[in-house]
Amino acid sequence: MTISGSLSSARSGLTAAAKTAEVVSSNIANATTPGYGRREVVTSARSVGHTGQGVKIVGVHRHIDPVVLADRRRAEATQNDREARAAFFQRLEAAVGTTDSAISIGGRIAAFDTALLEAASLPDSEARLARVTETARNLAEHISAASSAVQAARADADDRIEADVDQLNRTLSQIADLNSNIRSSYAGTRDPSALIDQRQQLIDSIASIVPLREIARDNGQIALYTTGGAMLVDGHAGSFGFDPSGVIMPEMSQAAGSLSGLTLNGRPISTSGTDSPLSGGSLAAHFTVRDTLAPEAQTALDALARDLVERFADPAVDATLAPGQAGLFTDSGGNFNTANELGLSQRLKLNAAIDPRQGGALWRLRDGIGAATPGLAGNSANLVALQSALTNARVPASGPFMTGARSFSALQGDMLSAMVSSRLTTETEASYAAARTDALTQLELADGVDTDQEMQSLLLVEQAYTANAKVIQTISDMIDTLLSM
Amino acid sequence: MSTIGFGDLAQSHVMRRHTTQAKLDMARLSEELTLGKASDTPRHLSGDMGPLLAIDSGLARLDGFGAVTRELALFSDAMQTSLSTIASLALDAATGLISASGTAATTHVNTASSAAHSALKSTISTLNTRFGDRSLFAGMDTTSIAVADSETLLTAVETAISTAGATDVASVEAVLDSWFSTPGAYQGTGYLGAAGLAPVPISAGEEVALDITADDPAIRATLKGLVMASLVDRGLFTGQPSVQKDLAQRAGEVLMAGETDRAYLAARLGGMQSQIDRAQTRNESEAAALGIARTGMVEIDPYETATRLQDAETQLQLIYTLTARISRLSLADYL
Repeated sequence: MTISGSLSSARSGLTAAAKTAEVVSSNIANATTPGYGRREVVTSARSVGHTGQGVKIVGVHRHIDPVVLADRRRAEATQNDREARAAFFQRLEAAVGTTDSAISIGGRIAAFDTALLEAASLPDSEARLARVTETARNLAEHISAASSAVQAARADADDRIEADVDQLNRTLSQIADLNSNIRSSYAGTRDPSALIDQRQQLIDSIASIVPLREIARDNGQIALYTTGGAMLVDGHAGSFGFDPSGVIMPEMSQAAGSLSGLTLNGRPISTSGTDSPLSGGSLAAHFTVRDTLAPEAQTALDALARDLVERFADPAVDATLAPGQAGLFTDSGGNFNTANELGLSQRLKLNAAIDPRQGGALWRLRDGIGAATPGLAGNSANLVALQSALTNARVPASGPFMTGARSFSALQGDMLSAMVSSRLTTETEASYAAARTDALTQLELADGVDTDQEMQSLLLVEQAYTANAKVIQTISDMIDTLLSM
Repeated sequence: MSTIGFGDLAQSHVMRRHTTQAKLDMARLSEELTLGKASDTPRHLSGDMGPLLAIDSGLARLDGFGAVTRELALFSDAMQTSLSTIASLALDAATGLISASGTAATTHVNTASSAAHSALKSTISTLNTRFGDRSLFAGMDTTSIAVADSETLLTAVETAISTAGATDVASVEAVLDSWFSTPGAYQGTGYLGAAGLAPVPISAGEEVALDITADDPAIRATLKGLVMASLVDRGLFTGQPSVQKDLAQRAGEVLMAGETDRAYLAARLGGMQSQIDRAQTRNESEAAALGIARTGMVEIDPYETATRLQDAETQLQLIYTLTARISRLSLADYL
């Protein structure tokens, strides 16, 4: 080994120490940066001919565990999917109301029942009849408000789909741009790690929207697919198309063409169900809420409203009614037609004939909707019949209910129980998904920058630097010795 | 070079998660402890809302029944009071009439029949009693009075007697019998109400009808006796003291004979009163039982909740201590 060779080795040692110090300082600076992959300087022994000639910096390795990363992203997608569904069920339950509060459909039914009983005891009391009208109106308005809340949830889901699609499109094209930047970094000699960090951050930002699969391509590039197989980025970025609706009515649906589906690069793709390439993620969850869960809730509410309308539209209950004529409750003021059940709950209205606010008269509650003139003030027969119509067991004509006759209150209870158990199931799933995301996030973060460890490396760097400098000094002394001979 | 490290963010992530969880637990537990019931009742009931809804609607209905039975009890009490007033008026009049007709002096008959006349007025005004704004003996026509005033009644009867040309006690009684039982006569000019009240539910599957009206046979018989005596007071058969005496005696007998029917009527009303009373008691005990069942369903064990709240608090304090300790532990501080 020559003296100049030793000098060169020592110098390479100094360079490696300096490079390591640079990387360590960058790691410490980014200790709290999300998406930052811890860097490590990779060195190997340099050899010239057959002899070692110092140290060689092979490169900077960006440390990331792709398996944990992919798992965490998918867990996040699942969590967002379940949370979006759970949020819908929570909203639905709040709109229907549990009997804990008087502000619930169940509470309204009970109040209406009580008002009918009390009016039957004093049919000549205007206050009692007014109370019946008021509680009946509250009940109709509450059912109608619950139905409006369901449609509002659909409209919100539609808005969120638009926001998700916007974010996806924007992010995907940024990822494609970064991909090409990274390729040119590879072609040159620049370190692409910072660009890869940025790309990872971008991918993370859409991981909750669709479940992702990242596939490595040449030169540090990646391709992105959904786990269901839809191409998001592969060379060029995919582009989603969606047409938001604004206001949504019960009869609007994707199947009927009145609500927008989703296109990828101009071709329509399935948006719900397990065969959808997007399934599992907030985007698919919003589609599920808009196209499946909310319409199901609407069907249940409509069936409930229909049962309520039909209970009182029976000439056997109120002899003054013609067959098919609306009783206490009407479809927007008119008679109910079985063909128009969809959206009935939203149009549910108190019959104008008994509602003083709509120009009706209270005595028609006592004497019948079709009565022309007030009858005897103490006649409670009709009020008793109305009360039994509400509480008698009756088989619901439609809806997702189990067959069997039950009172109106029990029917509402069955509807609520179904909604509540959907909420509880989805919430449980959401909390499992959240725990899984948490655990995986923790695993991912554990692999991140550990400042203690970096400080230890820094100590080593310091020692190595001093040692190499010492070597140079010694060689310099040796050369000086030679020169001064 | 692969190194084993534990990222700084992982540590703080774990701490943050534990802190959030402990705080959420504390918020939920303190809400449950304050309200004494589960914060998420549907979850507490594992999603089956049926039984709770049944209890709640049962309680609301019992509340309604409570109002109904309270009112019916008031009405039936008022009716019972009226019936006993009428019974004592009739009995007094009957006694007076019978004892007066047993004496020779005509003044006694006059006094007794005059007393019967005022008893008739009192009976009619008792039958027309309004409770609240409700006529008690007019059946379903609760806004109308039950019986027309005595003047109208007597004038109509006198017209009927003169039309029939009745000249003795037997024919007067026959006219009265037919007048009180013919639709359009008493049930038209006398009784102004309608058919009896329809049955009203007072508890699950049980109903009661306060259907006693001034058109009841017992009341008609009482009115008939009083009217008969009042006719004497108004001068029927004036100048024929013995016929007047006979008529007064007959009126007294009719009133006496009606005593049993009046007692039966009062007993029928009493039966309704006790039925209402029983329903009231039953409803109240049912409501109490349902209330206990409801509490059992939604309430939480305060002891257990308090213990768990204490646990959560300790845990949170521990997390704070650890966070402070760990954040002080950094190699940089020792270099």
